[in-house]
Amino acid sequence: MTESHLASPRTYVISWLLLLGLLAVSIASAFVPLGAMNVAINLAISFTQAAIVLLFSMHLRAAHPTLHLVAVVGFFGIAILIALTLADVLTR
Amino acid sequence: MSTIAIAHGEGNYLASGFSLWSWLTTLDHKRIAVLYLLSITLLFFIGGAAAALIRINLLTPNSAVVSIETYNKLFTMHGVIMVWFFLIPSIPATLGNFLVPMMIGARDLAFPRLNLLSWYLYVIGAVFTLEALIAGGVDTGWTFYTPYSTVFTNSHVFAAVTGVFIAGFSSILTGLNFIVTTHQMRAPGMTWFRMPLFIWAMYAVSLILVLATPVLAMTLVLMTVEHLFGIGVFDPGLGGDPLLFQHLFWFYSHPAVYIMIVPAMGVASEIFACFARNSIFGYRFMAYAMLAIAAFGFVVWGHHMFVSGQSAYAGTVFSLLTFLVSVPSAVKVFNWTATLHKGRISLEAPMLYALGFLGLFTIGGLTGLFLASLGLDIHLHDTYFVVAHFHYIMVGGAVMAFFGGIHFWWPKATGRMYSNRWASIAAITTFVGFNLTFFPQFIVGYLGMPRRYPEYPPEFQIWNVLSSIGAAILAMGYVLPLIYLYWSLRHGAAAPANPWDARGLEWQTSSPPPTDNFERTPVVTEEAYSYREGGASSG
Amino acid sequence: MASAHSAFAHQFDDARQQREASQLGIWLFLATEILFFGVLFAAYAVTRINHPAAFAAGSRLTNLPLASLNTAVLLTSSLTMALGVHAAQAGARRMTVNWLYATVALGLAFLAIKGIEYGIDFKENLVPGAGFGYDGPGRDQVQLYFYLYYLITMVHAIHVLIGVIAIAVIARIASRGRYSAEYFTPVDVTGLYWHLVDIIWLFVYPSLYLVSRS
Repeated sequence: MTESHLASPRTYVISWLLLLGLLAVSIASAFVPLGAMNVAINLAISFTQAAIVLLFSMHLRAAHPTLHLVAVVGFFGIAILIALTLADVLTR
Repeated sequence: MSTIAIAHGEGNYLASGFSLWSWLTTLDHKRIAVLYLLSITLLFFIGGAAAALIRINLLTPNSAVVSIETYNKLFTMHGVIMVWFFLIPSIPATLGNFLVPMMIGARDLAFPRLNLLSWYLYVIGAVFTLEALIAGGVDTGWTFYTPYSTVFTNSHVFAAVTGVFIAGFSSILTGLNFIVTTHQMRAPGMTWFRMPLFIWAMYAVSLILVLATPVLAMTLVLMTVEHLFGIGVFDPGLGGDPLLFQHLFWFYSHPAVYIMIVPAMGVASEIFACFARNSIFGYRFMAYAMLAIAAFGFVVWGHHMFVSGQSAYAGTVFSLLTFLVSVPSAVKVFNWTATLHKGRISLEAPMLYALGFLGLFTIGGLTGLFLASLGLDIHLHDTYFVVAHFHYIMVGGAVMAFFGGIHFWWPKATGRMYSNRWASIAAITTFVGFNLTFFPQFIVGYLGMPRRYPEYPPEFQIWNVLSSIGAAILAMGYVLPLIYLYWSLRHGAAAPANPWDARGLEWQTSSPPPTDNFERTPVVTEEAYSYREGGASSG
Repeated sequence: MASAHSAFAHQFDDARQQREASQLGIWLFLATEILFFGVLFAAYAVTRINHPAAFAAGSRLTNLPLASLNTAVLLTSSLTMALGVHAAQAGARRMTVNWLYATVALGLAFLAIKGIEYGIDFKENLVPGAGFGYDGPGRDQVQLYFYLYYLITMVHAIHVLIGVIAIAVIARIASRGRYSAEYFTPVDVTGLYWHLVDIIWLFVYPSLYLVSRS
């Protein structure tokens, strides 16, 4: 799993700028009343930011496929927890 | 100096140090397994003592022996100790720790220090929980339902829950270690589908340990903070939702029951193959089935909540998914049966335990279908039918398989043979005692006796008396091994490397094994369970 | 061929096996952290769905400027950490140490800003319990919002603190020249943990601070 190449520092700086940009978007959109869309936008931004950090800063892109699976399984488990719990809460 | 003579003089893992310090600072997975075995045995008998008092109290309908408050504490401590401090660690932390590196041809687990840490966390967790017991006990049930646990109880919730929280990290470390070891440290030629099914079982269980236990940990934090500060999201008085606690709790605790049974399935496969002299029927399906059980086990938790306020829609979804989870278990039962069919069966003690496992697990599993059915569960929920169902699986299934595994690998781990006659007597006593204890509970539960009640209508007394008599016999079945196994350490015949003529890498090294398990790293060229081809069994 | 830094523990066959085992081990641990925090998000989701107005009201009482600044601080600390790991991979000792200590500084800054934020919250009595300083509608449920607010941010802050300590220790060991291009696993592993703490915050922040600002 050692990268045979070194990712250039440029990658990290670009990621950082992207993340800050997405942060700005999330703040800006919070001031626009969009109802449920605000939640959707925020979630989309959070997941996008997480993906950027995972793929670039955490080197998942270059990593063994098993690690890709391990990286997402936690999110998947929480998704199941929330989805099936809401299946109850929203239908009471 | 030690009266427990080591069977083979030098070089084995038991002889690598006799001081207490050498044991308490060991990094050897085999020694850590022994440390775990001693600890969980102690906790088993403490939990068993609580059960004994419960069964004695239930001899009469009017709770003549203990007060109602004490009774609540007894079943709570029985559950807490048996679930978290006996069943969950049992096979993985003892047999798993001992065998995983050996079965795949490795010198140790991937992270020996984390392994030792996991044992210390277990012990510290046990100390906290026992402190709660000594200080006066907890009366919430092992399920800690809110708002009783958070608002109304005065019992020692904090200490007990802290103990479970700490022990949870012990579980996580064990699982993490097994997963990494299995991925990274298999000997040359040991491909995934040549691994013994016991390794597949440890792998599947490790997935659950790693993924489910963190959820329990945070759920306990939420519950404890609410208990301590009087404010929280489970409190309906503030607009919170007590059912939220149940969702979070059972998200872990249902997969937890698969933590308890999947290792037993792994042990059973090893024993059946050896004592039927047959390769396991449908090896790949057996491996996939355990993975499927682990995966499906995460989406069925709502079947514990059919009558506690969950929506009918959610109940239907969970009921459907619960029926699905029974399929891979059924596949395994059929495949074990097929393994036995036309095998050359020999009924040594491990096989008796394994056969007991097979029958009792099947009954327990089938009764799960009754409970999965929404309509039936309305009647059966919180009755002794449920109690019988889960004891058939956890005790009739998991504990019998655990004992079978102990008996199967005892010669390997200790270098000593035990008396097969006494072991067989213990196995049969356990089987008879178990059925007498728990089958009447199906009946009395169906007739309407609620669980967790110290009193009952007089017409139920006959079933309770039968059950309590059974419990006494069962207790004898559990005490007997302590006696003859200890005796074997002092007087038992020296065990050869492969007393059962079994297949598997662990049998190709001495009994007891050397510290590094193998003289040199094995190279695997055979499929698993090569009993039929007359494969080499080295002595 | 084998330098002092490529020695591996005796249970492994070679350094590569040890490295891969460490990678798989840390990622599994990160998965457990996601599940650990995920429970808080589940509790949040259910409680918010049941009381949307109270969550909106509670969120509006939080300090958006400080929290946004903190988010930028944490993101920047992730950058410095990544550059530290990169330097370690290149075998550049001094750069590694500098970037690691920069990360420590930013992590401490995060905690300091969080502390200031809590100070402001306490001054406004935004603490659930007797004397809760909000008298609008849904007062009880706004207390639930703040209960989650403190619990989530405190659990996160504890993880930040643990990370800060770990990175400081690693930086110290790095300054002694114990890592090299062949062996920098502890730096790598600590970096992964730090990035995860960052990711978690990226979900915490909008959940607590951006519920309703319009």
